[in-house]
Amino acid sequence: MTTLADRYVAATLRSVPAPRREEIATELRASIQDMIEGRTDGGEETAAAEREVLTELGDPAQLAARYADRRLQLIGPRYYLAWERLLKLLLSFIPAMVGLVVGLVAATDGKSVGAAVGAGFASAFEVAVQIAFWVTLVFAVLERTNTPLHLPDWSVDQLPEAPVERQITLTDTAAAIGFLALFIAYLPLQHFRSFVPADGAGNLPVLDPALWSFWLPFLIAVLVASVGLEFAKYRAGRFTWPLVAVNAVLNLAFAVPVVWLMSADRLLNPDLVARFEWLREGHNLKTVTTVVVVTTILVVLWDTVDSVIKARRAAR
Amino acid sequence: MVSDDVLRTHLQELRRGTVVVASLIALRRPDYGYALLQRLTGHGFPVDANTLYPLLRRLEEQGLLTSEWNTEESRPRKFYRTSPDGEAMLDRLLADLTAVQTSMTALLEGVDR
Repeated sequence: MTTLADRYVAATLRSVPAPRREEIATELRASIQDMIEGRTDGGEETAAAEREVLTELGDPAQLAARYADRRLQLIGPRYYLAWERLLKLLLSFIPAMVGLVVGLVAATDGKSVGAAVGAGFASAFEVAVQIAFWVTLVFAVLERTNTPLHLPDWSVDQLPEAPVERQITLTDTAAAIGFLALFIAYLPLQHFRSFVPADGAGNLPVLDPALWSFWLPFLIAVLVASVGLEFAKYRAGRFTWPLVAVNAVLNLAFAVPVVWLMSADRLLNPDLVARFEWLREGHNLKTVTTVVVVTTILVVLWDTVDSVIKARRAAR
Repeated sequence: MVSDDVLRTHLQELRRGTVVVASLIALRRPDYGYALLQRLTGHGFPVDANTLYPLLRRLEEQGLLTSEWNTEESRPRKFYRTSPDGEAMLDRLLADLTAVQTSMTALLEGVDR
């Protein structure tokens, strides 16, 4: 027996159950010798024949797995779906929840917003990795020990509802409402906290405080109505012509006052303009006005055209 | 034109299981691993050594084969032989193989190309 074949047999036996080891070793050794002889009888050199025979037998770990009737997989088809479903279920909410709680605790602990968000994301990631590892480990052990799960059999009652094709997705609606809510919150907020210190105490509002008599409440009302439109759009699932019309009216109701107030130099707080030398120099205020006016018109125009395109596509 | 890989996979699927039947038939005459491998290959049942050797042990554990060590020759060899249980199982398997062949023939005749 030469060293190569010896090493092969030893490597195979390493992962074969102990009680059968001796017998398998003797048989495998004899089989290898038989195979080598079969080749040397044909005129081959012994060393080359040995290499060829062992190469043909392949990875000893694989051969051992076949002897032990062990499956070479971490999680097989028997457990795979249960593993995948459980993992998806746990990952769908636990990391986000932990991240949120950790972030909130960090924020109330007096940390900066950035540090709190960072702490939240780090914890969420760590929890996700832990969940994935432990769930997979448990299922891998189940696979090795062949433990029955006793899960209820699949039945047709578990079939999900046929997916409804939505033009307006939940993500779109949530994003739009989130943006509108931030915008609505900003209007009163800028009055008290603009981060531009006033001469005395407090802050300088960005927008002209005189507008609170009518225009700012009006714009807030338009934005609130826009939130209502988002809900209506989501319920309808697609753009309909009445929705396009309401959308256009709301867009106009927002854009026209903004453009008009901005052009008449009535939108920005005069004290704020007076405060920044740069705004008073040359055409700078004019440039800001033009940028705001053009941006507002473009955004409103694009939104309206987009709604028409979507309504036409949905009507088809 | 189907790729060679696809063809190989399907042939493998078709051949799987026939090795068990062929082994049970061949081992009506007792033999050891390597000799059985040669005989099967000679009769048109090419089988990998690393498949056949573990398979023989498994069939033995299932009681379909019996074994005996022969120490008379140059090296000790384990001779396998089809057991009565293996014989009964073989009858069932052969009957099923015939049934498959019959059904396939009937299907071939019933369906025009």
